[in-house]
Amino acid sequence: MVAPPDNDVLWARSLHHSHGGSPALTGVSVGVREGEILAVGGPRGSGKTTLLRCLSGSLVPNEGEVWFNSGPVHTLGAVAREQLRRDRFGWIDPEPALVPELNAWENAALPLLLRGIGHRAAKKAALEWLERLDIDMCAKKRPHALLQAQRQRVVIARALVTGPAVLFADEPTAALHRTDRAQVLRTLLTAARSHRITTVLATHDTDVAALADRTVVLIDGCRVNSIENKGTSDAEGVAACSLSV
Amino acid sequence: MLALRLARGTHPLVLLRRLLVSAASAGVGFLLLCTLGYAVGHPGASGLRLLWCALPLAAAAHFAVAVARSDPSTRPREGLSAVGLGPARLAAIAAVSTAVSCTLGSAVALLVYLHLRGDITGLPFDGEAAGLLAADQPMPLAGALTLLAILPVTASVAAGLALRPRTLRPGDVSDPVHPEEPAPTPSGLPWGFALVAAGLAFQTYVNGGRQGSALPMPGHPEGSPAGVLGGWALTAVGLALAGPALAHFSGRLLQLARPGAARLLAGRVLMSEARRIGRPLGVVCAVASGGIAAATLYGYRAGPHPFGPLTGLGAALVISCPVATLLTAALESRHARADTTRALVELGTPAALLRTAASLRALALLVVFTPLTVAIAELAALPLR
Repeated sequence: MVAPPDNDVLWARSLHHSHGGSPALTGVSVGVREGEILAVGGPRGSGKTTLLRCLSGSLVPNEGEVWFNSGPVHTLGAVAREQLRRDRFGWIDPEPALVPELNAWENAALPLLLRGIGHRAAKKAALEWLERLDIDMCAKKRPHALLQAQRQRVVIARALVTGPAVLFADEPTAALHRTDRAQVLRTLLTAARSHRITTVLATHDTDVAALADRTVVLIDGCRVNSIENKGTSDAEGVAACSLSV
Repeated sequence: MLALRLARGTHPLVLLRRLLVSAASAGVGFLLLCTLGYAVGHPGASGLRLLWCALPLAAAAHFAVAVARSDPSTRPREGLSAVGLGPARLAAIAAVSTAVSCTLGSAVALLVYLHLRGDITGLPFDGEAAGLLAADQPMPLAGALTLLAILPVTASVAAGLALRPRTLRPGDVSDPVHPEEPAPTPSGLPWGFALVAAGLAFQTYVNGGRQGSALPMPGHPEGSPAGVLGGWALTAVGLALAGPALAHFSGRLLQLARPGAARLLAGRVLMSEARRIGRPLGVVCAVASGGIAAATLYGYRAGPHPFGPLTGLGAALVISCPVATLLTAALESRHARADTTRALVELGTPAALLRTAASLRALALLVVFTPLTVAIAELAALPLR
C-alpha cells in the first residue's frame, strides 16, 4: 500500500463494490482536497451513494483502498470505522432521519452527547447551529411538528455541530421542493465554506453540481469525464430495445 | 392455507412463540379436562374449580393475543398489500393462526389426558392418574370438546379484534424519516390506583372477622373467602390501568438533571413505549403481588399438602403467561423501533450505548415497580394472616 498524496484529505483508489452480485462501483478512483466542495454527479443508480458510503467507512469496498488523513480506512475494523464516522465525519441523508422521541435541539446535540460532552455545552452548541441555519424558533419542537425542509436543516445542524473533518451529503435536497431546495443548499454550502469543512456532495442535479468547486461524474459505477458520455452509443441502445417482448 | 404458508417461511423465534402459545393452551386445556373429570366423579361440587380455571385461561388468552400482535406476518406489508391482502385479511390470518396454535395445544391436552386416564395405551405412565381423573366413569365427549374449544375461540376472537383494521394509533411505529405524532401521555394513574385501593379494601373487608369460606383456596378447603379472588382481580385491573402511566413516569425519572445520551435516549424511548410495555408489566406486577401474598398465606397455614399438581400447573400458567406476554411486548416494541435504532447506528451510536440505554430502562422500571408490588402484596396479605 502506498500512502496518498499529502494534499488530498480523502483518497480512494480503484474501488470495486457490488451489492449481492449486482455491480455498483467498478474501479472508481477519486481524491478530495482539504476544504474543497466536491460534487459527485450522475443519474440514479450510478453508484454515488455507494461511493460516499465507501469513502465514509460505513461500507467496506470489495476491492480498492480508501485513505483518510494518510491512514487507511478500508483495513479498519467495524468499531474503529464507527468511531471514525462519529468523530471525524458528518453524514446527511437524502431524507431527514431524526430520532422521533427527541426534539430539534436534542437531535442536533445528539452527536455531541454521544461523544460524552456535557448536557449544557452540547445544548449551547446545538442551539448556535440551529440559529445559524435559521431554525432556532423550532428548537423545542419534536420532528413530527416540523416541516420536511426544517427537519432537513436540523439534520444539517446535527452533521455540522461536531465540526467534522469531512461532510458527506447524499442528495441532501432530493426530497424538497425547489424553493426549499435552494435555501437548504445555500445554507449547507455557506456553512461548509465559512468553516472550511471538506464536503462531498452527491447529486444528480447539474445546477447543484455547478455550485461545487469540482465535479466528478459517475455513470454505471465508472468515473467518466463528462455527463454527456453515456457509455453506449445510440445505435446500441436501439438494438437493445428492439427485442420482442 | 395462506396462514400456514406464511408460517412455514417465518423465523424460528416466531414459531417458538407460537409453540409457547400451544403449550399454554395445552396446559389450560388439561386443567379444564381435569375439572371435567372431577365433575364427573363428584357431581355438583365442581363449579368453584371451573371458576379457578378462569385465571389460567385469561392469562393464556392474553399471551396468545400478544403473540398475534407481535407476529411479523400480521403486519401490513407492501408485497401482500399489492396482491390485495389488506389489514382486514391480515387480521383474519392472525385470528386463524392463533386458532391453529391453540387448537394444537388443546389436542395435545386431550391426548395427554386420555393417556393419563388409561384410555390410550402403549406409552409409559399409562393410566398413572386414573383415580384422580375418574377413569371408571365415561367421559362426556361434548363437554370435553366444549371446554377444549373455549381457549381457541376466545383467543382467536380477541386476536382478530385486537388487530382489526383501524387507523394507526399515534405512537404505533417509530419512523425516523416520517415521524408521526407521539402517543398522548397515559392517563390511567388515578383510575388505576382507585381500583387497586378498592381491591385491597374489598379483600380486607371481606376477610374481616369471618373465617367461613364461600370460595376455598386450592388446597385450603377451610381457608380464605371469596373476597380474595374478587379483590385480587380488581387490583390486577387497576395495576394494568396504572402500568402505562407508571412506565411513563419511570421514563421521566430517567432523564432528570441534565441527562447524557444514554439516559436521554433511554428515558424518551421508555416514555414513548410506556403504553406497550406498561400494561403487561402491570399484569406481571399483579401476578407477582398475588404470588407473594399466596406465599405468605401458605407459609402461615401450610398443611401436609400445600397444593396439588393441578394447582401447581395452574399457578405455573398464571405466572409464566404474563411474563411471556411482557417479553413479547418488549420484542414488539424493539421491532417497532428498528428503523430508529438503525438511524442511530448510522449516526455512529456505539452498540454499547444502546445496550446501556436498554438496561437503564429495565432498571428504572424495576426501581418504580418493585416497591409498588411488594407494598401491594404486603397489604393484600395483611388480612390473610
